[in-house]
Amino acid sequence: MARMAQNLVSVEVITPEKLFYKGDVELVICRTLTGDEGFMAGHQWATKLLDIGELRIKEEDKDQYLRAAVAGGFIDVKDSIVIYTDAAEWAQDIDANRAQIAKERAEKWLADNPEEDEAEQLKREAALRRAVTRLTIYEAGTKKINTL
Amino acid sequence: MASSDLQAVKRRIRSVTSMEHITNAMKLVSAAKLRRAKTSFEKSNQYLHFITDSIAEIFNNTGEVPEKYLEGGREIHNTCYIVITSSRGLCGSFNSNIIKIAEEEMAKDENPLLFTIGTRGRDHFAKRGYTICQDVATPPENFTFLDSQELSSPIIEMYDKGEIDKVVLVYTSYLSQLEQAATKVQLLPFSADLDPEVMKQNKEVEYEPSVGDVFNYLVPKYMETMLYGAIIESATCEHAARRMAMENATDNAREMLGDLSLYYNRARQAAITNELIEVVSGSEALS
Repeated sequence: MARMAQNLVSVEVITPEKLFYKGDVELVICRTLTGDEGFMAGHQWATKLLDIGELRIKEEDKDQYLRAAVAGGFIDVKDSIVIYTDAAEWAQDIDANRAQIAKERAEKWLADNPEEDEAEQLKREAALRRAVTRLTIYEAGTKKINTL
Repeated sequence: MASSDLQAVKRRIRSVTSMEHITNAMKLVSAAKLRRAKTSFEKSNQYLHFITDSIAEIFNNTGEVPEKYLEGGREIHNTCYIVITSSRGLCGSFNSNIIKIAEEEMAKDENPLLFTIGTRGRDHFAKRGYTICQDVATPPENFTFLDSQELSSPIIEMYDKGEIDKVVLVYTSYLSQLEQAATKVQLLPFSADLDPEVMKQNKEVEYEPSVGDVFNYLVPKYMETMLYGAIIESATCEHAARRMAMENATDNAREMLGDLSLYYNRARQAAITNELIEVVSGSEALS
């Protein structure tokens, strides 16, 4: 099946440590604070905050998304797209055991200390959500679920 | 020349030689660490401007940014200083430069609050009776972004509560392998000294959830990133400073060794000549 030549948009994913991803892509889907949102070339200029969740990137002429777990951040959409996040991890690089341990630790803490101060509570909940996200993405990645 | 003198010189040569070995080894270690620190510093430094750019853009494109993080938003009573030093010594004037700048800055305030990173700074200021809110002893080279988040969150909290009104970061910036300079940066309130002409965009930009939320997210993020950047930059500088200091020490030791062995050889030769004269004059006296 011959595809139409798509409009591509250049995407950079930046973490404090490194440039996580850079390339020209068809579509980026990320979890904003109001839900999953996809960005393609020619999108209206926007700056949006990202939630902890999955980042999906569809490169040109690929059948599968590149999947990564991101730990919140923001996306800056202009003629090119810049995604800034505190931490990012490709699905295949996720250490499922570590995520599982982190998840259990956070769950246990939340169960044991129901009335701790709010800031700590929020931090642990964020840790739990990060761990769960990583696990889900890892599982999706290993089962090769094709969402296209 | 007495033989005890010769022996003393010999002992000194030995001790200087072993010192030279140590400083030389430290120089090599620092050079290796410097190389590693420099790559991570350069990588993170490259992307830091994205955050500042985004803040500048929002600032210049909308009139409705919340005032609390902006210069002039409130009166400044208490200032908080974040001072980044090293946890180890033997790095030349690295720490004293930082401390000097920090003290100069703090002299302007009646009751400065201190956050120190690295034990050298903490010890110095604790001894002189400054209020230290929090100190981090993790050596800067092992610092992760998460650590810097943990460090900056209480500062932002205090700022939000109004306990502090200004945050100044004192760190060492990396100019080159041979040159580092102690510098200070005001992190909060965010200085609005941006050129509106250059950054002005003509397109409508959509902010989600709202301009205020994005701005309130970005400013602390800016502080975290700046802090993280400053810490790895300081770590890089520390290694560079130590490498220089150790190189100088090694050079000095070698020079000293040269002088000492010259002295030793002269003294030895003088002793031999002396003995020869004694033998010759003794035999002359007999004949």
